[in-house]
Amino acid sequence: MKESRDEIQIGIAGLQTWDADPLRVERIRARCLAVLEAQRRKERAERSRLADWRYWLEPTVAFGLSAVYLAAAVASTLALLR
Amino acid sequence: MEREIELRLVARLRTGDAAAFETVYEAFRARLYSFLVRLSRRRDVAEDLLEETWLRFVARARDLRADTCLAAWLFTVARNLYATWCRNQSLHDERLSDLTPSWPAVARRETPFEATARTETERRLETALARVTSRDREVLLLVAIDELTPSDAAASLGLTPEALRKRLQRARERLAVEMDAELASAQMKTGERKWL
Repeated sequence: MKESRDEIQIGIAGLQTWDADPLRVERIRARCLAVLEAQRRKERAERSRLADWRYWLEPTVAFGLSAVYLAAAVASTLALLR
Repeated sequence: MEREIELRLVARLRTGDAAAFETVYEAFRARLYSFLVRLSRRRDVAEDLLEETWLRFVARARDLRADTCLAAWLFTVARNLYATWCRNQSLHDERLSDLTPSWPAVARRETPFEATARTETERRLETALARVTSRDREVLLLVAIDELTPSDAAASLGLTPEALRKRLQRARERLAVEMDAELASAQMKTGERKWL
């Protein structure tokens, strides 16, 4: 097809191009930029939500590990006393 | 658009870069609009489909594959939106011919100089393109897009490369017939004028 491009095909490729109404062009641009901005905001909000999740998860894990360690220490102390 | 530049733009688009969008928008907007205008033969429809194409593009920009060919992506979406619009409107080729008066006014923003400068062949080609069926028109227009490889064009139309080749050949034949008819009619008009 590209190899066998004849005159008609070259003619079509070289036809005049038009642009949409300038107001419409600007409206489309603005809407697209708004979509991109909304995506960015959503991503930022998700990231902060993840940060919140870490806020409560880290102390919980630390508390759990401490409790396990303490229980093991108490258990070994009791074993020594017996 | 060079492939290397295109890949860099795609990488930036995947991060939601607004400047990258602006570059792609400037590079493809007019050609995409012209494609839709020639396909639909209505400026209002072409503008609506153009808007929808770009909105889909930004909505899915982050999900683009790193090796995306932007022209293939945009023209495929535009063509599919046009096909959906046709289905929704139940427009058939016969009915499309009724819309000929709303064929985009080529001279809408054309100066008299530009109008004169347009070649006769170009005028005949535009008229013939307007007369062939939308099936023929879409294959002729897609294959004429520089950045689209034959396999991209085939994929856009949901065809195998072999089926595309056959359809293109038939479309070219019908376009040539229309161009000859247009030439004959122009010559007849000139003859009549001379005779008068």
